[in-house]
Amino acid sequence: MLSMASRETNPNFMNGVPELLILRLLQHEEMYGYEIVQAIRGRSEAVITIGEGVVYPVLHALENDRALKSRRITVNGRSRIYYSVTPAGARRLADLAQNWTNLAAAIQTMLKGGKYAEAIP
Amino acid sequence: MPKPFHELRERLLQAGVAPRHVRRYLSELADHLTDLTAEEEQAGCDRADAESAAFVRLGSMDNLARAMTEKRQFQSWCSRAPWACFGLAPLFVLVSAWCFALFILWSGWRIFLPETETPFVPIHGLAIFYFGVGKLTYFTAPLLIGWGIGIIAARQRLKVMWPAFGITVIALIGGTAQIHAGRVSGGAEHVGMRFALEPSLQGSILNCLTLLLLSILPYLLWRVLKARSFGRSATCA
Repeated sequence: MLSMASRETNPNFMNGVPELLILRLLQHEEMYGYEIVQAIRGRSEAVITIGEGVVYPVLHALENDRALKSRRITVNGRSRIYYSVTPAGARRLADLAQNWTNLAAAIQTMLKGGKYAEAIP
Repeated sequence: MPKPFHELRERLLQAGVAPRHVRRYLSELADHLTDLTAEEEQAGCDRADAESAAFVRLGSMDNLARAMTEKRQFQSWCSRAPWACFGLAPLFVLVSAWCFALFILWSGWRIFLPETETPFVPIHGLAIFYFGVGKLTYFTAPLLIGWGIGIIAARQRLKVMWPAFGITVIALIGGTAQIHAGRVSGGAEHVGMRFALEPSLQGSILNCLTLLLLSILPYLLWRVLKARSFGRSATCA
């Protein structure tokens, strides 16, 4: 679903990341699918590129879980579905962000050697 | 709808994804494809190249299908619990329709025929309409439910087993059902139903078979037409 700079990433490692990115993007403004994909690509400076079509099942699942809400708006004669975060989605974002920060910090510590640095060649 | 989306729709439906989720997914994918094509054209590609590039960026058919099918929440109830959708639900609807028909018979008897021993006597005026509603409900319910099962099965591209089971059960019940009505001691009106291969075994079997054929025929015709059109498109490809 997500790839990091054109390299395949272990999907298990990316568990929850699409949700996190989408909730974060939609936290302050509503967007439609195409905008979301472009925003992820742009704001991550193309480090994270999303399989464009597969963003929709993630959006629909979040909406099913009431983390997102959607509304149809006609812009320049084209009907688009805009998504925005609900209060439940904001709570979920906070949880996911906390988990991800902890995980990233732990991995960073491991990479730097941390407590057992001398044991790592 | 572009051909890859047509194939994707068939794959998703056959995998048990609910039609409303499929419809919305494909609609958003089509919009996304239009945006991608426009972006590629603005970047200098001609129309054909822009469309090809847009399809590549959208994702492979396998990935697009897997993204939906791996999420259980998008599965239809017919796929999750076919025994409930094609066994219990049709029975519940049939029982409800027949309860309504029996109520019409019982109430019509009390209103229009308070003096008669049975409601099955010649009637006139408004009574014809009133009892007609009950009769229509009673006789058409099994057939309409059978057609409903066929439509649901066709929409969701289900295998023939569960719809055939549901239609057969409804036909058996519909073909053997009988209404009886009479006054009980004290003069109160009593209406009820029973299921029996009476008054003649051959007649009941004929009823069941007729109902089964009428119910399942549209669904079988749809399957034949679908198989033919699939064969034709495979030959063209």
